[in-house]
Amino acid sequence: MAKITKAWMIGLLAFILILTGCSSDTDGSVEGETENNEENGDTVTLEVGSWRTEDTAKYEKLFEAFNEKHPDIQLEFKPSKNTEYNTILNTALQSGEGPDIMQLRPYAAGAELADAGYLEPIEDLEGLDTFPDSSLMAAQGSDGTQYGVPLNMSTTQMFYNKKIFDELGLEEPQTYEEFIELNETFKSEGYTPLAMGTKEGWLMSLMHGIVGPAHYGANEFVEQIENGETDFVSDEYVASIEAMEQLKDYFPDNSEGLGMEDIRTLFFTEQAAMFPLGSWEIEVLKEMNPDLELDFFPMPSAVGKEPTITTWVDGSYAINANSEHKEEAKKFLEWMTTEEFGQMFTEEFSMVSAVPGVESDNQLVSDLAQAADEISTPYLILVHFAKGNPSSKAELETELQGMYLGEQTPEGVAEAVQKSAEGYYEPFQN
Amino acid sequence: MNTAETQVKAVNKPAAKTKTKRKWKRWAIHLFPIPALIIYGLFIVYPILAAFTYSLFDWNGLVRGAFVGLENFKALFSLQPYKDLFWNAFQHNILYFVVQMIVQNGLAFVLAFIIYKKIKGAEFFKIAFFMPRLLSIIVVGFLWKLILNPNFGALNVILGKFGLENLQKAWLGDPDTALMAIILVNSWFGLGFAVLIFLAGIQSIPHELIEAATLDGAKGWKMMSKIIIPLMMPAITIITVLTFIQSFEAFELVYAMQGSQGEPYHSTDTLAIYFYRLAFGGTSGGGSSAIGLGSALAVVLFLFISVFTAILLYFMRKKEVEM
Amino acid sequence: MKENIWTRPLYYVIAFLVASISLYPLFLMIMSSFKPSNEIFMNPLSLPKSFSLEPYRNLIEQVPFMTYFYNSVVVSVTAVLLILICGSLAAFYIARYTFWWNNALFFFFLMGMMIPIKLGIVPLFILMKDLGLTNSLWSLIFIYTATGIPLSILILTGFFRTMPVELEEAARIDGATDLRILWNVLLPLMRPALGTVMIINFIQAWNDFFFPLIFISNEMKKTIPVGMLSLFGEYSADWGALFAGLTLSSLPMMILFFIASKQFMEGLTAGAIK
Repeated sequence: MAKITKAWMIGLLAFILILTGCSSDTDGSVEGETENNEENGDTVTLEVGSWRTEDTAKYEKLFEAFNEKHPDIQLEFKPSKNTEYNTILNTALQSGEGPDIMQLRPYAAGAELADAGYLEPIEDLEGLDTFPDSSLMAAQGSDGTQYGVPLNMSTTQMFYNKKIFDELGLEEPQTYEEFIELNETFKSEGYTPLAMGTKEGWLMSLMHGIVGPAHYGANEFVEQIENGETDFVSDEYVASIEAMEQLKDYFPDNSEGLGMEDIRTLFFTEQAAMFPLGSWEIEVLKEMNPDLELDFFPMPSAVGKEPTITTWVDGSYAINANSEHKEEAKKFLEWMTTEEFGQMFTEEFSMVSAVPGVESDNQLVSDLAQAADEISTPYLILVHFAKGNPSSKAELETELQGMYLGEQTPEGVAEAVQKSAEGYYEPFQN
Repeated sequence: MNTAETQVKAVNKPAAKTKTKRKWKRWAIHLFPIPALIIYGLFIVYPILAAFTYSLFDWNGLVRGAFVGLENFKALFSLQPYKDLFWNAFQHNILYFVVQMIVQNGLAFVLAFIIYKKIKGAEFFKIAFFMPRLLSIIVVGFLWKLILNPNFGALNVILGKFGLENLQKAWLGDPDTALMAIILVNSWFGLGFAVLIFLAGIQSIPHELIEAATLDGAKGWKMMSKIIIPLMMPAITIITVLTFIQSFEAFELVYAMQGSQGEPYHSTDTLAIYFYRLAFGGTSGGGSSAIGLGSALAVVLFLFISVFTAILLYFMRKKEVEM
Repeated sequence: MKENIWTRPLYYVIAFLVASISLYPLFLMIMSSFKPSNEIFMNPLSLPKSFSLEPYRNLIEQVPFMTYFYNSVVVSVTAVLLILICGSLAAFYIARYTFWWNNALFFFFLMGMMIPIKLGIVPLFILMKDLGLTNSLWSLIFIYTATGIPLSILILTGFFRTMPVELEEAARIDGATDLRILWNVLLPLMRPALGTVMIINFIQAWNDFFFPLIFISNEMKKTIPVGMLSLFGEYSADWGALFAGLTLSSLPMMILFFIASKQFMEGLTAGAIK
């Protein structure tokens, strides 16, 4: 019994110690904050929210450059984990809080925040006209009001391992048939043709974004969808799903159990020849295997159209309608529209800037940027159909997964997407 | 407030002292649950009650729409795809509970008994069994994804070494095995805790009782069923109720291993995952939230769990009393 | 009880098998923490080629680990103490008295476990804001105490029920108050259960990352799990540093568990009667 009382006493002591430590600590920070504000009466600190935790150091460099121009404005980068970002941001905004400037999910998700009145409209922001309408569209409310400045273009395309291509004396395919032949060659030579796995749904819609346009006829089809002249149960779209099914032959063994990290490993360890994925992988692959000879090709069309790479605006920055420093925040957004910013962004991040015509010293990024300007097709399911609950994008992902598991037909996939889209997509409702 | 008064009285009238004090003492017992009630009421009950009212509104996206009464509940059980998704997830939760009871708790009972029998290294084993519980769910998910990886994971490698290649599988990618794999990982995770509770249960059985029973000639199964299990009923109740609640709230591990879509092809969907998807939308920007429907699902889930927990508790308590 | 000669060896085989399955993933975690990221994926199961301390160095460079550590300790310890105090008081009341509302009260507390608290995150956030607790460790202490109370009451009530009433009656005749009975007579006998409640809540508070993500944006107030999450990128993670961090953050708990299991949970059969 004595032993126990002693243990409790120690516990209690620790408790008291911690309580005192804790409260003085809280006081300290509160003082610290007010001090900070008062100290430099005319300096304003803006919080910037984002889901890109891995970019912290890069953003700090950008912010420093901005601070040199505007010594009275400090920016503080506060990223949170991407899968929880929406919940964190929405909770804060719904409670009247949140960062002054925030990275906006593109298209439907951003529009939702705008429609709820949490964002400051920036219709008259200087420099907005540098962006094409297709980019601006990513950061608008559903009434077409502009709320955000686009940051970067993401592109998806077929990456390939140049060394393996050279070793087998192969070239980039010019037609879809050649693409299939390439796959056959790799298979017979003992390489995995396509590094792809079906365990994670988002990879399914991503890959369809690359392969699909080659079959449904890229931009013409997109236009028809926008005008309500065709739909997802059309032959063209079903053909694009069937093409996905055919490609299963070229996936690695056990592809139903492979996720992102697995397929990336297959590719950077040079066991797989091609890797249908997004531009952000360039950095990651380089870090994992600096010797990897990486290149990409646009997807050749199976229906006699131009080859395409798939693009969308991946993120924009918008201003919190509740911010106390909207004017200062606008200055930053204005800077984001300049070529200077675009140049710095591309160099620091190795990503394609949303500012048109920016060149990168990274050859691959530069080529991608050029392709994005010239032969791009939108990531259809994300741009128009990431809406509803479950969203049509999620439906496509789940049903494609079902198809690869043999529990769904291509027609069934197309029907599910169509049915989901009919719930909200106006061109389908007439 | 009363103490000062008591003291004054105590000085003046020694005779009244004990009476007042006893009254105070009797009254003071009601203060015992107050601290717990305040903290629990403020930080759990209040926000949840506020959120339950969401289920009565048409609430898609971020802005609350019109009051719709019980429409959300109706939609949950009559509209597609909500209807199918609900029953699909519900079945998975039932499987979750059954497997957890058999594998995790059955094994835990055996292990607690083994430790109780004072084998050498009992202390080490107890700690070893509990170690998984110390890990964050994110790590648990990641480690088991490595182990269950179809191409280089330890499980398939070991199966290969024993010449059991035909048993090798893409455990988490195959709809036939994915859910079972997750439940077993959960059992691995929760095993040590169940062992501790059972062990605390066995250890609180007064030694004299067991000795007396031994002298009466009870042994083996008879000892188990007549003495040990009845006396351990409180521990068994705790574990059963807890497993039941946790199985129907199963979220974190599924989320860490298979994401919020119940992949592959809804084969690992649970009610809590489905709730999360409805209430918060997709994880990476696709899909708007349907807070109204999500809240309705949470209310249904809550009602179901509380009714069954009440029934469970009622019957198990009866057993406790009978013994 | 007489035992078959095979019984003991069988005990050992079972215990040993389960223990190795329990420990293997831990071993994997520690091994991985000495590997650079690409090796984790290329040779996930092998021993590290060279024991590189690089991941640990990266970790210390990237995040203020000691600050996170301090915050985690403060939050977890305070929450656990509050839970033990509130939980044992309430459980004692529920288990040892038979007021007509006691069953209802017990069930009222249990309900806390039956609802996904994430649902109430917006009202909760507003409440914390109104109390001035956002960006304060107190927001975490209170929410962990509140979420820990139901489980603790379930466990402690169960064990209070197993305590022989005679013990208490003897003390009562001597004129002891309820508080004294609880403190001097019952709690010392409930060491295994208290130890379990303590450790389980400590783990919960130590590992949770959801609430700090929502309530804490100040870098200096973050706890270890949130700090670790900043190592997860959108498409990739620094797995080496991550495993180093997770290994480091699991260590204190392993030590604590070891102490707790010695202090609280060892066999009571001998000590109880003293």
